[in-house]
Amino acid sequence: MLTSLHIEGNSLLHRLPVRVKLIALVASSIVLFLSASLPLQAIAFVIAAGLYLSVGLPPKEALKRVGFVFLTIFFLAAVNLFLLPIIEVATLTLRLMALVLLAAAITATTTISAFMDEITILLTPLERLGWLSAADVSLALGLVLRFVPDIFARYEAIREAHRARGLPVRPLTIIGPLIILTLKDADTIAAAIDARGFRRH
Amino acid sequence: MNTRDLVLIALFAAIVVVLGLIPPITLGFIPVPITAQSMGVMLAGCILGAKRGALAFLLFLLLVAIGLPVLSGGRGGLAVFAGPSGGFILGWVVATFVTGLIAQRTVREGQAETRQFIGFFLASVIGGIVVLYAIGMPWVSAVTGTPLLTVATGSLAFIPGDLLKAAIATLAARAVYAGYPLLPARA
Repeated sequence: MLTSLHIEGNSLLHRLPVRVKLIALVASSIVLFLSASLPLQAIAFVIAAGLYLSVGLPPKEALKRVGFVFLTIFFLAAVNLFLLPIIEVATLTLRLMALVLLAAAITATTTISAFMDEITILLTPLERLGWLSAADVSLALGLVLRFVPDIFARYEAIREAHRARGLPVRPLTIIGPLIILTLKDADTIAAAIDARGFRRH
Repeated sequence: MNTRDLVLIALFAAIVVVLGLIPPITLGFIPVPITAQSMGVMLAGCILGAKRGALAFLLFLLLVAIGLPVLSGGRGGLAVFAGPSGGFILGWVVATFVTGLIAQRTVREGQAETRQFIGFFLASVIGGIVVLYAIGMPWVSAVTGTPLLTVATGSLAFIPGDLLKAAIATLAARAVYAGYPLLPARA
């Protein structure tokens, strides 16, 4: 149900460490937003598109992943055509598309565990301050991945119960029971975690 | 943070993921389909309160950022933050916090049912609509260059749907509050 957007491969982006990729993404968004030059945005767009196409996604899947965001970009660009000079619209649109493609390329070439390692490192300063523990973040993330299939099964059971009684399936009558049934497990799960001593600080 | 709070946060983030898997409903009189996931902000604030609700959404955004397709329609990854609606997605955390803050201050046990409904509805509208748009619209305007006023006018199309979501979230939150109260007492 929850398959990562990562895709196996050995492209340039696959080989780069995740930190380099994230710094490159942040740096390029700052540079592109500070610059109003059309040629620069166009070059960035071509490079980002090249990188995205090189990660080894099947064309259909590649289009699907950015399609929705591109649709909103094009819609706003169409609105902008009535309000702004065409050069400016082109600059703004190319900049956004370049960043979306770059971000999508990084997502496709980075595994969840690589991201998590990096997040653990980024959290270290907060951990030193005593604000949170990186182990807790990993634990919470693991719990989400563990319980999504259970909660979805519960949603289907509630939906079936509606059908069995001839009731229409409405969000209102589903969300309440779904949330109560799910959150009621919190005590048991918390007790199980504590009994195993997962959170010894 | 105790283990129970940590588990509640994780479970709620998981609920938000599941809400994204429920097929969206289209209503005749509203132009945009309603996704159950977009009610998550109002629900998290009204049910878990400010702090835990906001943390649940922070955890959810972490799932999006590390490349899990958990947004409704199977979207995810860093690209959604880079797109025009990135502000709305990042704004979820603040919006949940504000929703929770208002709910905590207006809703108490032992109140008349109507007052609880009003409290949850106010919290959902102010946190889940006003605050969210106050963050999301300037963001759209900043990244796309579309004048803020145009963005605001265009956003009006979403307001009827959002009010309906606030109403559904209010009823659901009040049902949960009656069945399994978790909202921290007046902070």
